[in-house]
Amino acid sequence: MTKLKIAFALLPLFAILLAVSLAVAEGADGPALHGMAPLFGDRSVPVELLPPGADDVGPSDVVFPQQQIPIRFNHAKHMTKEVGAGCKTCHGGAYKSTSVKDRLTPSGEQCDACHSTDHGDLAHVKPGDEPMGQCTFCHLGYKAGAASTVPAISIPRANLVFDHKVHADRKIGCPQCHGSIDRIELATRDQLPRMRGCFDCHQKPDSASRGDAKSACQTCHPGGGSTGTTIQTMFASGTLEPPRWLHNAEHTPDFIARHKTIAADDSQFCANCHKEDFCTDCHDGRVRPRSIHPNDYLNMHAIEARMATQKCESCHRDQSFCLDCHMRVGVSESSPVNAKDSGRFHPPKNIWSDPPRKAGSHSFEAERNLNACVSCHTERDCVACHGASGVGATFDPHKNGFKGGCSTQMRRNPRPCFVCHQPGDTALSACQ
Amino acid sequence: MEDVARRVAWVAALVLVMTTGAETLAWATDGEVTSDTSSQFYDVRSPTGQTVLMRRRLTSTLGVGAYNIFDAPLGDPNAGQIDFRARLRYDADYGVSCGESSVPPPTGGCPSASYGSFVPGVSANGVDLMYAYLEGRRLFKGLLGFKLGRQYQTDVLGWWSFDGAEVSVTTPAYVKAEVYGGLEQRGGMPLSTSRFEADGVWRGDRTNFSGSAYPAFQPAAIAPAIGVALETTGVTWIHGRLSYRRVYDTGSSNVTEFASGLYTPASYGAGTGIFPGMRTSTDRLGYAVDTSFSGIGGAKAGIIYDFYRAEVTSAYANLDAYLGSKVTLGVDYDYYVPSFDADSIWNFFAGEPHNDFGLRGNVDFDKHLSIAANAHARMFTVQTAEFTEGPASVGMGTPYFPTNGHPFDEGGDVSARWRRGETRFGVNGRGDFGDEGDRVGADASAQHVFESRYVLAGRVGVWAWDDKLQPDRSTTSVQGVLTLGYRFMPRSQGSVEGECDDNHLVGVRFRLMLLLSLGLGSK
Repeated sequence: MTKLKIAFALLPLFAILLAVSLAVAEGADGPALHGMAPLFGDRSVPVELLPPGADDVGPSDVVFPQQQIPIRFNHAKHMTKEVGAGCKTCHGGAYKSTSVKDRLTPSGEQCDACHSTDHGDLAHVKPGDEPMGQCTFCHLGYKAGAASTVPAISIPRANLVFDHKVHADRKIGCPQCHGSIDRIELATRDQLPRMRGCFDCHQKPDSASRGDAKSACQTCHPGGGSTGTTIQTMFASGTLEPPRWLHNAEHTPDFIARHKTIAADDSQFCANCHKEDFCTDCHDGRVRPRSIHPNDYLNMHAIEARMATQKCESCHRDQSFCLDCHMRVGVSESSPVNAKDSGRFHPPKNIWSDPPRKAGSHSFEAERNLNACVSCHTERDCVACHGASGVGATFDPHKNGFKGGCSTQMRRNPRPCFVCHQPGDTALSACQ
Repeated sequence: MEDVARRVAWVAALVLVMTTGAETLAWATDGEVTSDTSSQFYDVRSPTGQTVLMRRRLTSTLGVGAYNIFDAPLGDPNAGQIDFRARLRYDADYGVSCGESSVPPPTGGCPSASYGSFVPGVSANGVDLMYAYLEGRRLFKGLLGFKLGRQYQTDVLGWWSFDGAEVSVTTPAYVKAEVYGGLEQRGGMPLSTSRFEADGVWRGDRTNFSGSAYPAFQPAAIAPAIGVALETTGVTWIHGRLSYRRVYDTGSSNVTEFASGLYTPASYGAGTGIFPGMRTSTDRLGYAVDTSFSGIGGAKAGIIYDFYRAEVTSAYANLDAYLGSKVTLGVDYDYYVPSFDADSIWNFFAGEPHNDFGLRGNVDFDKHLSIAANAHARMFTVQTAEFTEGPASVGMGTPYFPTNGHPFDEGGDVSARWRRGETRFGVNGRGDFGDEGDRVGADASAQHVFESRYVLAGRVGVWAWDDKLQPDRSTTSVQGVLTLGYRFMPRSQGSVEGECDDNHLVGVRFRLMLLLSLGLGSK
């Protein structure tokens, strides 16, 4: 077990070393052609050219489903002074669009004037005479002789609530959401807005916004409707999950172990996507979740309960959930006389309860993890020895410093005092 | 037999209500009916190999929801909204024998019917109302919100439930103020469970109990509760919540558990043995805060101060560093002292704090594969000094508080997950080592959904544990699980799950589960 223990303890160290190496190595480049990628040669796009907030992963595949754009296009060239195009030249519809359902990419006809092509009839598109008027100049994958058949562009609708017109009317320029397109060749999903960038403005509580940029989830995310959550999370493109930068709530493989710190400080955060039922499955559940209690857990749970590697009290009440079952199976001292006896649970009496105290003594175990005791014993089991009178009256269970605060406790609820002490007990006078 | 018939009738009634309700509400503007049913069949054996429990458990929930009752425009964040949600649960263990479930003993037909095998609190067939509330959001231009009914509260003070009202005011000054009051949900009360009350008191419904039967089992009574909270709102890079809650115990409580017991003369309270009146149950203040900076990292912290115990009973702090877009490293600290309902004697016992220290990392290799690892150590505080406020020794020539000499436990875990479309693989390994015992093991799981309908899932695992207090209880367990399911609607699925466990202490065991989830809604 010792070798296994050492090997296991080193695993996280190896994992962390690997993680650091990966972080350092991140960001490799690859070759590309003009107009085929955001930057010539498929170089990495500097953060300053990307949409605001694009210093993390993204954009989300769920919000902006994967696209297919078999087009070669150079925004930077078109937006030079020589060509003179602006955003509105090709995307004029965006300034009037009120829904993500609107198609905002230009039609082929908008290319005709300069490229000497004729997209007036898409079934019979006429190429131009010059090289830049040929179908293959822009349409990737076009095969000679295929007439007007070109690989289709697929830009699925974003799973968002968004009104371009509202933003345009407020003089919010295109780069504020899409980055420096004028320095980008091919615009890809990478030029779509990042949620963190939205929060540059959307920081207002509902009551403060007065029509301005609210921070409420449903401002941008489709509402949950009949799912009972604030926002819709299930889409054909996947399940919406929070990004890392938002409270470090990324649902990593270890999220279940650290989720309490996120739920603790924001009463609404989890409820934006999850209904109560999601929480009750574990926190008030009736079916053992294997992700938390693996393998033959009923047989090994005593080890974990003693070590308290997971706080049982997060989901269970010792004096109901645990005690009831322990009494039924006969491991509790208060078990009914006819309960099935599963054998002595504790170590032998000479270790467990006989003085002097030694490793394995019940008093150490109680100090170490009192909840483990409470999961099997009723208070009378302790009082039998530790009460103020009787067989174990001298085994005082109070901890150091107890007397300093006991008057407050006795004033606010003296009930537990009277379980061990008679009302006239002189020991009580110190707390009265 | 009549009892079984009655239980079956209960389930049939629930299913009938669900079905008819579904037909009615499925076509409403915004409504839903949901139900989750699980049947579990397995035996629990003691480490000596004896079968000590036969679980034949049926759990069924029925949930209804009506959303946007006043038909506010959907997707408009300015629009106020009124919702109603409720969920009822039936949970029965048909493996409970007649003698275990009869109070008072029936007049015939149950050979072992007596208090001799009955355990108070073991519910043979229980129905509880998990939640049922009317909620208003963003009313009066976003200023006001409310919840009325049985509801949950989630914050640093824990996950809690009460019957009552909560009103919140979201101010333009980035702060939301909240006040609530009502009755804490307590076991033994109608349609309630003990899940949400403070621990440390064995409490429930004593109806039909004689005073001499289980005097330690305390009678349930209403528990008034009030609370207030202040929470930041709007800003996303920092968030905090300050929360205060006080709960009272009421009714009578037996303090003379060795005498004739509850409701019979004993020594306290003018000879009644009963402590009466309203008194503190819990009285706590908590604060949690969270900051996060993209590309850099974040920090979280929380603390709970218990006014009854006059001490900090819980505190935590995390620091996260984002190394690139794929790697997150973090350090954790957690402090915890066991604390109980103020009616409990265990608040006064020498239960010492846990101090947990952790180091963790997560790597998102790509959008499909993530690996997380954690190493942790726990430092126990054990009272080693002689106790000066009580007797200095037990009169047997031995020190009263010697050291136990080993204040640390340690361990770690590694989890990996790969998912793509409707396929998912997972591996989790864990080891925990301490004076009380060691536990090491790993699970591997996989799930795939064929044609978006047919679910196939499996899990295998090997875990070994070493019980250092009871070495003869150490063993290695092997487990296999196979699940077959069918999704007949987007939110509805039925499945069958078979589990096999084997360890040399108790031998081979099987567990069968039947699961049915239904979700019908207007959207």
